[in-house]
Amino acid sequence: MPIGVYVCHCGLNIAGVLNMEELKSFAEKLPDVAVARDLQFSCSDIGQEQIQKDIAELKLDRVVVAACSPRLHEPTFRRAISKAGLNPYMLEMANIREQCSWVHMEQPAMATEKAKDLIAMAVAKAALLKPLEPESIPVSKNVLVVGGGVAGIAAALDLADSGLHVFLVERRPTIGGYMALLTDVFPTNDCSICVLGPKMSEVYNHPDITLITYAEVLGVEGSVGNFTVSGVRRARYVDEKLCKGCINECAGVCPVEVPSEYDFGIGKRKAIYIPYPQAVPLVACVDPKACIGCARCVEACPAQAVKLDQEPQDFKLNVGAIIVATGWQPFDATRKEEYGFGRYRDVITTLQMERMLNASGPTKGDVVQPSTGKIAERVAFLQCVGSRDSTVGNLYCSRICCMASLKNAQLVKEKYPHTDITIYYIDIRACGEGYEEFYVRAQKLGINFVRSRVSCIDEVEGELFLIFEDTQTGEMKKVKHDLAVLSVGLEPDEKADVLGNLLGLSRRPDGFFEIAHPKMRPVEAHIDGVFIAGCASGPKEIPISIAQGSAAASKAVKLLHKGVLELEPTSAYVDPEKCIKCKLCVDLCPKKAIAVKSPAYVDEAACKGCGSCAAACPADAINMRFFSDEQIIAQVQAATEEKREFPLIVAFLCNWCSYGAADLAGTSRIQYPTNARNIRVMCSARVDPSFVLEALRRGADGVLIAGCRIGECHYRDGNYQALQRVNVLKGVLEKIGLDPGRVKIVWCAASEGEIFAKDIRDFIGELKAMGPIGTELKKGLSEVKNEETALP
Amino acid sequence: MKLAYYPGCVSKSTGKEMDASTRAVCGALGIELEELDDWNCCGATHVSNELVAAGLAARNMAQTDLPIMTACSICYSNLRAAAQRLEEHETLEKVNAVLDKKYSGARIRHALDVILEALAENDERIVVPLKELKVAPYYGCLLTRPAGLYSPEFPIILEKLIKRLQAEPVDFRLMTICCGGPIFMPQEKAAEDIAFKILSEAKRAGAEVIVTVCPLCHLMLDAKQQVLEQKHGVRIGIPVLYVTQLAGIALGLGPEELGLDMNSVSPMVVVERMYARLSE
Ligand SMILES: Cc1cc2nc3c(=O)[nH]c(=O)nc-3n(C[C@H](O)[C@H](O)[C@H](O)COP(=O)(O)OP(=O)(O)OC[C@H]3O[C@@H](n4cnc5c(N)ncnc54)[C@H](O)[C@@H]3O)c2cc1C
Ligand code: SF4
Ligand code: SF4
Repeated sequence: MPIGVYVCHCGLNIAGVLNMEELKSFAEKLPDVAVARDLQFSCSDIGQEQIQKDIAELKLDRVVVAACSPRLHEPTFRRAISKAGLNPYMLEMANIREQCSWVHMEQPAMATEKAKDLIAMAVAKAALLKPLEPESIPVSKNVLVVGGGVAGIAAALDLADSGLHVFLVERRPTIGGYMALLTDVFPTNDCSICVLGPKMSEVYNHPDITLITYAEVLGVEGSVGNFTVSGVRRARYVDEKLCKGCINECAGVCPVEVPSEYDFGIGKRKAIYIPYPQAVPLVACVDPKACIGCARCVEACPAQAVKLDQEPQDFKLNVGAIIVATGWQPFDATRKEEYGFGRYRDVITTLQMERMLNASGPTKGDVVQPSTGKIAERVAFLQCVGSRDSTVGNLYCSRICCMASLKNAQLVKEKYPHTDITIYYIDIRACGEGYEEFYVRAQKLGINFVRSRVSCIDEVEGELFLIFEDTQTGEMKKVKHDLAVLSVGLEPDEKADVLGNLLGLSRRPDGFFEIAHPKMRPVEAHIDGVFIAGCASGPKEIPISIAQGSAAASKAVKLLHKGVLELEPTSAYVDPEKCIKCKLCVDLCPKKAIAVKSPAYVDEAACKGCGSCAAACPADAINMRFFSDEQIIAQVQAATEEKREFPLIVAFLCNWCSYGAADLAGTSRIQYPTNARNIRVMCSARVDPSFVLEALRRGADGVLIAGCRIGECHYRDGNYQALQRVNVLKGVLEKIGLDPGRVKIVWCAASEGEIFAKDIRDFIGELKAMGPIGTELKKGLSEVKNEETALP
Repeated sequence: MKLAYYPGCVSKSTGKEMDASTRAVCGALGIELEELDDWNCCGATHVSNELVAAGLAARNMAQTDLPIMTACSICYSNLRAAAQRLEEHETLEKVNAVLDKKYSGARIRHALDVILEALAENDERIVVPLKELKVAPYYGCLLTRPAGLYSPEFPIILEKLIKRLQAEPVDFRLMTICCGGPIFMPQEKAAEDIAFKILSEAKRAGAEVIVTVCPLCHLMLDAKQQVLEQKHGVRIGIPVLYVTQLAGIALGLGPEELGLDMNSVSPMVVVERMYARLSE
């Protein structure tokens, strides 16, 4: 196994600090090294050609480049060696620039010693590299969109127009979500259904969209590119193909009337109904809870579409990607008992107001007092009902309700200019494009604003009183209104857990689905091939919900349009002989890539190579194709082969954050001592306790593990897992008589070079105080001895 | 049934009658009370420092494995709030680091709920049924906070107990508002206005007695009643009883056992009427 080692000068960037001659002759003597050279600029054409020439002439089968960070030039050198006929994964880099010459400029001799270790570590790992073949798998070009609100509709249309096939599964009998029920929509106050209706029809008529309404997803298997989704279409008791949508015939004879959920209780519907006139599909539906089975509708229907014996139908779909657009649900206002919703008829929610203002709604557009049916004259809007309120467990701002109240107030004022309207608010949050102008417009219309969180609503002899402190004047007040509108917040759908569990999605503390990165990956889930759009990931207004639907669609197109998916060959794999089927790995895996059948099995398409399972497996049955146990142990052994300084630290840095921070310390020329020998791992959770013990056993004075900041793990919660393991390890060290402080875990973001340097400095200080490894054992022994001699 | 009993500091000062009646009623109902060992403040004196408040409460709660009963809503609220905070691992660790007996969870009960549970419908131990007595159920603010067993606006449990004692709860609008006690120091006038409003509303609603579950409410409505009458030139004259006193009367316990002589507005006229009716 002839290895070629190339030590790069990088002009003076490396050679200005490190002694190149010494490094080259050190490398030549390492085991399996066939050739070691120093190159001026190894990344330049000349440098690359030299490497390729050696591969051809000296039959090198693996290459070590000691130069800059692999995060910069690993792709370059992989390409270079693969042009020369080597497998691209037969390359290892030693980072002697960002993590050596640039950060130890004042200590050239010690830095050269450290670089020797880094090169020896790279050579040791290189000897164990194995060729890896990136696998391609064929993928389905179908996409499942769950939820047919405005976000799901936007996603479905974009996908279908790009040539993928869409299955749109909607739980209700109609698509449209909440937007279809709104009156005019801010910030332009155009009619909501007039802009949404055409999109709903387009979905219905699109040849590349299969619309499955009144249905639920019940099972998801497989992984990115090839999900198998099963579900059930509930019985409508009406044949979708035969129903003409005339509704008056059947509903006209139905004797049962119930409150309509599409009017939030203020309107009524029959047991056989169409949610609203613009519903898509325009097909009747029988509510089995209300229906008494009299079958009058069966007789009345001219198309013989009513089938009271209809059965639910199962369906199964193969899709390559899944978009979750399941939206939100309104806060249940009865939970704020002090406002009397549900007890006082004239206390309503903004959603009921939306329906009243709607020309095709239950009051045909009149804004009335429910108790009297008279037009309301003194209307109050109460903001933040169920939002920004720890008493109901919702700390977040629902973001749209200030705007919704401003809108409804304007619409009422325009319709009835003499109405006295007051909005009671904590702060008005109007921070989208055109939103502040919208607020100013409301002020100009003569709408009153009182800064207050209303403490309660009292009804005395049929009259409503709001009791509150006006926080601008400091006065307690009691004011009469004849209609109080509660601006209810947006909550996660109460059944979101069902779908979330099927897909393995995480939920944030506020209950909404968590996206893969709060800034950089706004529509991706932690699970590959799953995307989240609209209010499913938190409250947002229509334009943003649409933007997210389209963004999710474009991500799915990017993923699937080629029909094949190239997989990074860095996954975990199981040794079936060793697996004891404990299932520990199943829950740890952030990507839901492991299933334990008999034995455990890793879905290599889903695996992203974090390595937590490999670290956790009690039987050592899981290993990684890249960053294997043997390779890491070899690095640890090389780092501790010769103890070149005290304290000697073996440091494990996660690829995403802390390794980046160490690189940044280099590019920022932040200086710190040379004691650490860094080993790159994909995630801090990869660090198997046995790596740490091996390092200490072989004389390292301390082991540092650095991960992303808590909450920022690139997989999900690898850093928590690492923390847990470190805590256990500390216990082990204590038991064997070593200072538990010798293993330390720290967090730093890729932007925190200074913090990384400080972490190293601090750890060095702590280890100096402890003394070389084993000091405590000797001390312990002598104490025991003293005790013994003290005995009579 | 056996419960741990946390008397709270008021039972040694302005609320001696609360303590006496609680012990007497529990005795009559066969509820064995074991006073907590070496108890300290419930945390009320340090409400602005959540950690210290939780620590004080935890020290009490760690004294026993039994469910802990208190008759004071302030203690009830503070112990429960602390138990909630102590579910947070970090708080628990900090608190347990300084405790001798470590805290590991507790169940807190209010005497109100204990008595209601112990009394059956038409319980034969009710020897003096409070028939036709009009009682204003006054909850105050702390029984229902932090959110727990009862709805903050419509707790109804007091009404249930009043009915079980065969008295009549009146429709009392202000039953859950604050008594004014907590702001008495900084805003004496505002506090007195609130207390007066509650008393006037009870009178308007036709109450013959007001029943409370909190010593601070009791202080505001009972001890202050005379001052408020003078200030406003109105006669109110409604006795204010602890719920344990009301239950004790119905159970036939004597005025001394229930500490009725310690109430500022004497309830004796009402009590005598109940007994008088008995012999009719
Ligand atoms: C009072 C009020 C007024 C508003 N006014 C405006 C306005 O004027 N302008 C504006 O921009 N925004 C407004 N909004 C916000 C707007 O309603 C949302 O932005 C919009 O509804 C978000 O769309 P969505 O598709 O994400 O969710 P939704 O509208 O909730 O749609 C989600 C869909 O998914 C379906 N679904 C849920 N779970 C499942 C499941 N498991 N399987 C299958 N289907 C499922 C639901 O049935 C629903 O059809 C208002 C909100 C409120 C409360
Ligand atoms: S069968 Fe059901 S839906 Fe049809 S008319 Fe009768 S009650 Fe209405
Ligand atoms: S948008 Fe306005 S009303 Fe809604 S929660 Fe935020 S601040 Fe409150």
